[in-house]
Amino acid sequence: MPSPIAMPKPGQFTEECTIVKWLKKEGDAVAKGDILFEIETDKANMEVESFFEGTLLKILTPEGGTVPVQAVVAWVGQPGEAIPATPPAATPKPAAAPAVSGQKTEVRSQKPAVSASQAAPVSAPVLQHSSTPALQSSRRLRISPRAKALAERSVINPAPIRGTGPGGRIVEKDVLAYLESKGYAQLKITPTAKEMAAAEKLDLLTIRGTGEAGKITVDDIKRAVAEKPKAMSKMRQVIAQRLTQSFSSTPHFFVTVSVDMTDLVAYRATLKAKNLPYSVTDFIAMAVTLCLKEFPAVNSSTDGKSIWWHSKVNLGLAVSLESGLVVPVVRDADDLTLQELHDTSAALFEKARNGKLLPDEMSGSTFTISNMGMLNVENFTAIINPGEAAILAVSSTTKQAVVKNDQIVVRQMMKITLSSDHQVIDGALAAQFVNALKAKLEDVTLWKKLV
Amino acid sequence: MENFDVVVIGAGPGGYPAAIRAAQLGAKVALVERENLGGTCLNVGCIPTKALIACADAFAHLRDAAKLGVKATNISADFGAMMAHKQGVVTQLRKGVGALLAGNGVKVFQGQAAFEAHDQIVIEHRTSNTEQPTSNTRIKAGKFIIATGSTSVMPGFLPKHARVVESRSFLDLQQLPASMIVMGGGYIGCELACLAAALGVKVTVVELLEDVLMLLDNDVRREVKKHMEQKLGMRILTGKPLENISAEAGGISAEVGGEKLSAELLLVAVGRKPVTDGLELERAGLKTNERGFIPVDEFNRTAVASIYAIGDVNGGMQLAHAATSQAMIAAESACGKKPHKNETLIPGVIFTMPEVAIVGLTEADAKKQGRAIKTGRFPFAALGRALAAGLPEGFVKLIADAGSDQLLGAQAVGAHATDLIAPATLAIRAELTAAELGRTVHAHPTFGEIWMEAAHALHGECIHAAPRKKA
Repeated sequence: MPSPIAMPKPGQFTEECTIVKWLKKEGDAVAKGDILFEIETDKANMEVESFFEGTLLKILTPEGGTVPVQAVVAWVGQPGEAIPATPPAATPKPAAAPAVSGQKTEVRSQKPAVSASQAAPVSAPVLQHSSTPALQSSRRLRISPRAKALAERSVINPAPIRGTGPGGRIVEKDVLAYLESKGYAQLKITPTAKEMAAAEKLDLLTIRGTGEAGKITVDDIKRAVAEKPKAMSKMRQVIAQRLTQSFSSTPHFFVTVSVDMTDLVAYRATLKAKNLPYSVTDFIAMAVTLCLKEFPAVNSSTDGKSIWWHSKVNLGLAVSLESGLVVPVVRDADDLTLQELHDTSAALFEKARNGKLLPDEMSGSTFTISNMGMLNVENFTAIINPGEAAILAVSSTTKQAVVKNDQIVVRQMMKITLSSDHQVIDGALAAQFVNALKAKLEDVTLWKKLV
Repeated sequence: MENFDVVVIGAGPGGYPAAIRAAQLGAKVALVERENLGGTCLNVGCIPTKALIACADAFAHLRDAAKLGVKATNISADFGAMMAHKQGVVTQLRKGVGALLAGNGVKVFQGQAAFEAHDQIVIEHRTSNTEQPTSNTRIKAGKFIIATGSTSVMPGFLPKHARVVESRSFLDLQQLPASMIVMGGGYIGCELACLAAALGVKVTVVELLEDVLMLLDNDVRREVKKHMEQKLGMRILTGKPLENISAEAGGISAEVGGEKLSAELLLVAVGRKPVTDGLELERAGLKTNERGFIPVDEFNRTAVASIYAIGDVNGGMQLAHAATSQAMIAAESACGKKPHKNETLIPGVIFTMPEVAIVGLTEADAKKQGRAIKTGRFPFAALGRALAAGLPEGFVKLIADAGSDQLLGAQAVGAHATDLIAPATLAIRAELTAAELGRTVHAHPTFGEIWMEAAHALHGECIHAAPRKKA
């Protein structure tokens, strides 16, 4: 009896996954522990290994296919064995879903993955997203074979042509009329350029020729190919959708203060000399956690009718990687000492850099910090992570001329900007929050107690 | 002081076409030349060597004519008469250039030009090279085009002696030596080596690099070398320098890798350097680069907006036809027409025996760039016309992009190779695919058919060659 290979559930909130690559093909021998395929969720790419031994009899979900978690994607068994006509039902209720370890497949490792853009990390509630790439028009073009052949021969896109055939079908004379109206006969193109355009399925009518007398050359085709729309990764699409949703549906407002980091920077240097490698991020994370306990409304969620005050602080920390940005989450940050906070986030950062973060380590945050301090920026604003009430944007610490006791002095200044959801946070609260944060960061005696 | 729209300095294959083109466009043009109209190319380069090579070719053909049933006895080469033929050709062409310039209303000044400012030069007139200037003329112009060319490099370690010559003096020899060492296996060295060897001179070519004619692909080089060594009987020594050179009344002696060589003459052909002496470029605000060239952009504009530099002096391809192409671009730009960029597809022709020609990408280039290509070769030995003419030596090669089938390069070695490169150049510039070249009807029986055959070969669809055995 062949064994079904099910799509694993890599994260608590993951409801569907896409197979990006099959590493085995039908007929291949499969050993326990062999990597069968690679999947992509909205957070990460990972490899899925087999728990069975035998032969990969049938692939049900091809590369690029998206299926609900637990759906059967393939069968492994002995050659010649019959495959059950109807695979076990897909899409069980998420609540009833067993843990990953309880399934016949296991998430083995994780590849580095882009998880979010500059500030808004992708996390908790899974959003619905379209599985059809935006690039492909879903409407099937009604066109006669002769008309289609002519369009192909002419290397043009027939979609904009108005059809005059039965039911608005595009017929050959429509293509001819279209070509004439567009001055196709005047189009000049070199033979190689035409060949390349046909191979790349470009529309010659949209390409500007830069050769002699406007002739389309190989260079023009190369430019057009470079400008062709490319499908975004599924992850990128999810990010786009979430950020757009957040920024267009959440009334953001921004409050900035300058924090005098001179004393803390100096204190950090003395700690470093004592082999206590606390980072500025650690201090900011601790200060934010303390402030969130003081201002629970900032650590909240809303649906526009109700507000949830979270009793715990799950702190999202955006990490910049070569491949993009990931946002690991420090759970229950309010329970941690500065030392523990440092160790936890350092471990998460390390995992993030090596692409070892598990989806659950990238979800469930209640507040997020985006630190661009190392990227030499004066100030920026971040987009609130959906499901949260605010996000803190931290900029670089630079030497500035500031007025202190009516004297102009050089101080190490850092701008922080809170993006708040005006549905639940008013200006006064945001101002109090950022000033409380500023006070904590500037109060070196506090840190001497916390270290 | 006379004022011109455009002043061109140097009357070689860059300068005189630039002057004529500017005049055609209605500009008031002056051309300054310190030696002869036509420059190196016409007087001491391309043209005189081809005149002599034609003589050597005729001699070689006559000697080889027996296989075509033509018997000639007592044939001999009269070097003096050959030189007279050469001189006749040069004089006629030089006069022709003068007539063209006059016909287009270009005012020609004989003398050395020197900048006095970015818009002014002084021309010093001399009655001979050694004398002090006898008079001078100052002229002003809105635009200048510098086309002063290049001259042979003579390394300092070489003895200064009548037996040590560069290409220019070689073309003025009164009689051929019995033996000759050619230092430098570039195209000038190899052309003159073939010319001399065909007329009976015992020739040894010494090249420091790993091979002669390094700009060609290996298979093409091999074909030329085979003829040079086996048919013309010359020695080609590569990868080692020519050392311990001494020149005495009795002859030249030198060493290559420990081996002693001696000959009556040493021909030095190790490259050419730009000519800017006497121009006083700094007074115009111009500087040459570390190699002595005047740097220009792709429209031949120098660092001074009103001054252009074309041809060998700007450090691009040192070829007469490249200079002429740049001349058109510079002259049109100087006359206010919308400038084109310099052409980048420049064919090269080498009048060795057999002739060689090259254009565009080589296989070696493609390999360096990691570019996927397809090549198609076809031998003259399989071409009816070439066999009928008794000229079965050599082949042509096409190089096309493996993906788009775009023709990217071509090389030819064999009879008429230097003429055959023209259609290949046209096809590459027009971005033709190999398939289209293959579909183009080529008249039969002709040498030109070979490109069609090579295009078929590129796709493995040759009619006139057996399919390659599959491994």
